[in-house]
Amino acid sequence: MGKIIAVHSYKGGTGKTLLSVNLAATFAKHGKKVCLFDLDFRAPSLFTILKVDDIECWFNDYLNGTCEIDKVLTDLSNRLQENGKFYVGLANPATEAIRDMSSKDRKWEMRALGRLLALRNALLNDKEFDYIILDTSPGLQYSSINAIVAADLVVVATTFDRSDVDGTRRMLQELYNLFEKKTAIVLNKVLDSSAKSKKEEMQSKVKSVYQAPLLGVISCFCDVLRAEGNIIFVQDKPEHPFTKILGEMANRIDANDIR
Amino acid sequence: MTKEEALGKKPLQILEKIKENLERLNEKMEVMIELQKHGRKDVLPLQDAPLDVMTLLSMPDHLRKTAMTLCRLGRATAEEVAEQTSRARAVESAYLNQLVIMGYLKKERKGRKAYFYADRENQR
Repeated sequence: MGKIIAVHSYKGGTGKTLLSVNLAATFAKHGKKVCLFDLDFRAPSLFTILKVDDIECWFNDYLNGTCEIDKVLTDLSNRLQENGKFYVGLANPATEAIRDMSSKDRKWEMRALGRLLALRNALLNDKEFDYIILDTSPGLQYSSINAIVAADLVVVATTFDRSDVDGTRRMLQELYNLFEKKTAIVLNKVLDSSAKSKKEEMQSKVKSVYQAPLLGVISCFCDVLRAEGNIIFVQDKPEHPFTKILGEMANRIDANDIR
Repeated sequence: MTKEEALGKKPLQILEKIKENLERLNEKMEVMIELQKHGRKDVLPLQDAPLDVMTLLSMPDHLRKTAMTLCRLGRATAEEVAEQTSRARAVESAYLNQLVIMGYLKKERKGRKAYFYADRENQR
């Protein structure tokens, strides 16, 4: 049985989308069948990053109940050289769609939760996907909390920024813990993370601050910034340290080795 | 069917009916006990209240666990929920019935079994 992973953070700009895209691509490179959904309806970005043409239906339409999930999925497996399957479901970047999504009421959000929960049957059971990855909006947005409730694992991207650390800690205690969610922390944009002593220091710091396991530490790579979001990094730079770190994270999630 | 056979079946049917009624009575008692325990003031007699994530967040822990489990299962009996939460069937039955009273869940009987579900699509 596959897994639903929500990638979330307290603040914006922590690297959720970078992490989502590259984690999905890494799983696909490892031969898995993966689907990546853009749930950042306020600032959709996968459409631009992945440059997909001919969208039949947006993920917004699926949540609105106006189209089936099959029509939302776009097969991007040909972008990867390996045998895995890589599908995406995109959020509509049109201003009108963003406005529409931010004015939904509680009943709509409740139905949207039902449709997110239904993906488990439709994709993981019936279509035998190994992973569904949900790229969310930062903070306590309705759509993000829906994604967290639907997920088996929440990957939280965070930095050492003071306000991010504080907010993330509160969010873990007052949101994830209430839902009894399995959570893993990814430290992003870390300076000088290569030394072994530094790694152990970070591991214990994360444990004591967040009381959650550390899934990975990503250094502040100028190469990632230089790519300007134009490439699927792990695909285009297979030998880069970033790609290796993502590979280790995917292996640990796959082996259920998150403690 | 001979006359004797028919006569033999009748008491059995009556006993079944009595058992069924007792089970329903038991369920109602559980709800009443539950309401008493947590004070009636936090139970609003709502009709079709949306079971959205913010509502889940604001629920007391014991009810959230039940509601979350039912969300995951979609449609389930108290026994099926109890299997997931590792709490007693009677406890889950009480919590589920309380969620029905609060308007968050719907309950449907199929023979002897009572199924609980969140009626998401039909809420307007």
